[in-house]
Amino acid sequence: MLFYIKLAWRNIFRNKRRTIIAGTAIGIGLASLIFTGAMMKGMETNMMQAATASFLGEGQVHGVGFRETQAVETVVTYADDVMAKLRMEPLVDKVTARTLSMAMITAPSGVNGVLLVGVNPETEKDLSQMDDTIQKGVYFEGHNGRDIILGSKLAEILELGLGDRVVVTVAQAHSGDLSQEMFRVSGIFHFNLKEMDSGFAFIRISKAQQMLGLGNAVHQVAFRFKQIKNSIDPALPLWKSYSVKGNEAVSWMEILPQMKAVADMNSMSVIMLVVILGAVVTFGIINTLFMSLYERMFEFAVLRAVGTRAGGLRKLILFEAGALAVVSIGIGLILGFILTAIFVKVGIDYRGLEFAGTTIKDMIYPEMELWQFIVFPIGVFFFTMVVGIYPAWVAGRLNVADALRKSL
Amino acid sequence: MTNNDIIHTEAIVKNYKDNGVVVAAVRGIDLAVKAGEFTAVVGPSGSGKTTFLNIISGLDTPSSGSVRLKGKLVSAMKGKELSDFRRDHIGFIFQAYNLIPVLTVEENIEYIMMLQGVPRARRHARVMEILEDVGMAEYAGRLPSKLSGGQQQRVAIARAMVSRPDLILADEPTANLDSATGAALLDMMRELNQKTGMTFLFSTHDAMIMERADRVITLKDGVVVSDHYARP
Repeated sequence: MLFYIKLAWRNIFRNKRRTIIAGTAIGIGLASLIFTGAMMKGMETNMMQAATASFLGEGQVHGVGFRETQAVETVVTYADDVMAKLRMEPLVDKVTARTLSMAMITAPSGVNGVLLVGVNPETEKDLSQMDDTIQKGVYFEGHNGRDIILGSKLAEILELGLGDRVVVTVAQAHSGDLSQEMFRVSGIFHFNLKEMDSGFAFIRISKAQQMLGLGNAVHQVAFRFKQIKNSIDPALPLWKSYSVKGNEAVSWMEILPQMKAVADMNSMSVIMLVVILGAVVTFGIINTLFMSLYERMFEFAVLRAVGTRAGGLRKLILFEAGALAVVSIGIGLILGFILTAIFVKVGIDYRGLEFAGTTIKDMIYPEMELWQFIVFPIGVFFFTMVVGIYPAWVAGRLNVADALRKSL
Repeated sequence: MTNNDIIHTEAIVKNYKDNGVVVAAVRGIDLAVKAGEFTAVVGPSGSGKTTFLNIISGLDTPSSGSVRLKGKLVSAMKGKELSDFRRDHIGFIFQAYNLIPVLTVEENIEYIMMLQGVPRARRHARVMEILEDVGMAEYAGRLPSKLSGGQQQRVAIARAMVSRPDLILADEPTANLDSATGAALLDMMRELNQKTGMTFLFSTHDAMIMERADRVITLKDGVVVSDHYARP
């Protein structure tokens, strides 16, 4: 066996140029896979962060049924306990409470429906990017309960500017009575998300609780983990431990299922790329191996004549395929590392692109992980060996007398 | 067939198709070659020499007839059995030397012993012994590309003989060599034949081989037209 491996290794370098060209072609395929895998991972992380960091949070606790009905009466049971416990969780970084209710906002120029969000300004700015998105005015300075912050598109529709007065009308919990309050526009935000910029309005949570007749109750406790990977772990015990006593704890993936679809789409893209690259690599390998085979038919005939079994010849060809794979993998790993490392440093600019309900705010940086440099090369090696079976089979079926006769 | 016959063929016929036309390459050859003979099979191109040698060695199968080597029915062997028989009993010398270009002289020669499972140390010792016999001991580590035609053919002879086969089949071994080199090689093979008792069977046009052969068998149009001993 070792002799055939030695012979195979030397054989592929008989024509160095052809081997380098074939190896580089396969190596480029591998490098593309490595880069794409890293790029997809980076995009996933970027979109996760974009989805969760802007407003959503990485996890939320609601009263059971609130997500489906958005009923004002459905509140987080024992919300103070829930928040206190979450703040003590070793995996959790930030926690904030919110009220959420449909409201009518009336301005001199018109009326619009909005989602009225009551926030605690201090804890909210730690969890979301609200304070960073203020385009005009300020983010809840002082203690004025009549401050309201509107989305940029909403302000445009209602022709509102800073300092303008609006009236907000809500239906109270339990009684359903209408409650109206006047607010002054203290800030205009721009999340660069159509849904938020045209449909959200923020007031202080205490004012919202008062208007909605909630007392101290809240509709949502949003939180963020210290490590975002915990948010995509469905087996994390935290989800179950806060889904008790009439509450449910869900991760952002359940709140934004389209993001999971994006993640699935990314995985499918990588699989499709593997298939396409695999087809290209197949023809490259088969072409190289057959060219090399037909050039050496007489040599193979001599090997068979002196006593090499058909299986020995097949082993030789398979080892040559393996040797070609090793060369290709070496080239591919180097190219893949260099290409990925460059973009890990400089990033890819898709900022401003809105996709699946999120806006990409930051540069996308591919994420190099060890598995990309192990799994893909193993795949290339295995694939090359499988493709090498056909030329090996042909070599083993060589008619010795014909090969000796034709070559003379 | 006698006990001393290395080769025994009976009514060998070989037909093959060439562009749809059936060509009779060998038309019924009965032949016995004794152990230790230095025999030349001669004839013009197309007389069936190479085909006949291929059938004897099992590289080709006869359309009819039988071939026995050392009493074993080679014409009935297949697959691994045939490969192993060739490995253990027949050495080949080809017109174009056909050394593996990426293997050194030593590696080319030891290849057959490697197939036989001979341990490394014994292989090395035997290779150096045979290289001494052919006058190529100092070239053990060289690649074939660094050798002349005559040197390569010496190595090919060494390869053919290293495992001490019963029979050496040589197909036009001097065709690519100048006459002086060819003559020297033939003298060396004759000497090895006499020293080791290995049977040599040549397929050739070369008069130098005929001059040195114990026996000359002439083929024409696939049949033996003459078979005589030049030396008793």
